[in-house]
Amino acid sequence: MAGHDQLDEQAGLYVLGALTPTDRAAFEAHLATCADCTAEVRSLSSVAGALAHAVPQSEPSPALRARVLASVGAATEPEVRLTASARATASLAEAETRRRKPDATTGRVPVRLKPDATTVPDTTTVRAHTFVPWLAAAASLALAVGLGVYAAQLRTRVGDLEVRLREATLRADAGDRQIADARRTAADAQSQVAVLSAPDLARIDLAGQPAAPQAAARAFWSRSRGLVFTASNLPALPAGRTYQLWVLTAQPAPISAGLLRPDTSGRANAVFDTPPDIPRPTAMAVTIEPDGGVPAPTGDKYLVGLAN
Amino acid sequence: MWFLWAVIDRLGPSGRRTGDGLLDEAALERIARGDHDALAELYDRHARPVYSLALRILQNPSDAEDIVQEVFSQAWREAARYDRLRGAVAAWLLTLARSRAIDRLRARRARPENAADHRAVVNVADLGLPPDLQVLSSEQIACVRAALGELPVLQRVAIELAYYEGLTHVEIAARLEQPLGTVKTRIRLALIKLRDALAGAV
Ligand SMILES: [Zn+2]
Repeated sequence: MAGHDQLDEQAGLYVLGALTPTDRAAFEAHLATCADCTAEVRSLSSVAGALAHAVPQSEPSPALRARVLASVGAATEPEVRLTASARATASLAEAETRRRKPDATTGRVPVRLKPDATTVPDTTTVRAHTFVPWLAAAASLALAVGLGVYAAQLRTRVGDLEVRLREATLRADAGDRQIADARRTAADAQSQVAVLSAPDLARIDLAGQPAAPQAAARAFWSRSRGLVFTASNLPALPAGRTYQLWVLTAQPAPISAGLLRPDTSGRANAVFDTPPDIPRPTAMAVTIEPDGGVPAPTGDKYLVGLAN
Repeated sequence: MWFLWAVIDRLGPSGRRTGDGLLDEAALERIARGDHDALAELYDRHARPVYSLALRILQNPSDAEDIVQEVFSQAWREAARYDRLRGAVAAWLLTLARSRAIDRLRARRARPENAADHRAVVNVADLGLPPDLQVLSSEQIACVRAALGELPVLQRVAIELAYYEGLTHVEIAARLEQPLGTVKTRIRLALIKLRDALAGAV
């Protein structure tokens, strides 16, 4: 991935929408972890906003107002589209249903074109409906600075999952374990989508501290749905040590969100549950701690960020 | 106290929201519940800038009106999903308008019968802002408009090709027959000047 130096002219092109799709994707990936470029984009985006207003102003025809207001009269419901992923999720349930109900006389799995409504678990029905707006919301969130990379990752991941789910569904002899694996992976992706599309989503950017000046991270936090954390340029951990993420609130004691283990390139991605009844975070921090983590921070701070 | 070590100076105050911005957010909440009057309210506050931007991009009143209709229909459908972390409602509507208008412009360009529709974008003289501009309420916008007019011609053209014509920097370089690096630098310099003008207007 291109470093910051090659990208410092990209922020302006980005806010003007003048990057080629490839460059835009690369820059969004960089933005997710670069506080400097994010700040630059933020400050330049006010210029883009002013450019939108800086055109000669003219009045649309009065007839247009009536046309616009009439056109929404018919459609009072928000759009709901059944995506391929929702269909795949539903057909997974169908496959499970088929497996669990072999024909009593032949011992064979009956071939049905439609799932038996009474045996499809309710949770699947709920998920098939709630999953779709989440995905759509995540896609629209891609507009927000830095979220593009997550949306792209999620789209890829959901695409992969669709293939796996379809395969599992098509094979009448698919083992329960395969189905369980596919379902767990799907649940993982869904929880990320869920966090990123939460209505109460808040973002905290964390900056590298003297122990790791190059490190950077971003946390997306939702009280109702959890915490998505992504970090880059974390130094490799010495043996017997781990990184630990802390959430600071109005309460005196920091709360441990969980442990982080960067890959060989220094990146770490994790989804954590939000502890119930936690007050709104005022800050987050990452410290280095003994393996297994500690109840209260003891080690050097590697990343720190304040909530807005 | 442990959490006081958060000696963080990097985060300024979060964006202040104006009275209009709060009204817009309230209108969107009502729209999400199916309130038609709230949509009319939002339309009355924003149809003019949305239409004007679409007209600037598409140079055709009927196409621009289509964009206005699409933008407010989308606002109606997606009001419930609007996330104020993404920015002001006005900025959201204008962003929708711009991207829909640019999409339409690109589709138009892709149609061979309209190959002649490169219009006057290379005619630098044509890009001068009309002298009879109506000044918007915001002093900042007036300032940016003035600063836009004071930019060196090629900087301004590069900005306009990017923002109002939807060209990528690669296309701009080809259109202006300038090296890519020069175009990037011009755009950057121009944006910084505009940003400074904006900051000076506060
Ligand atoms: Zn950067």
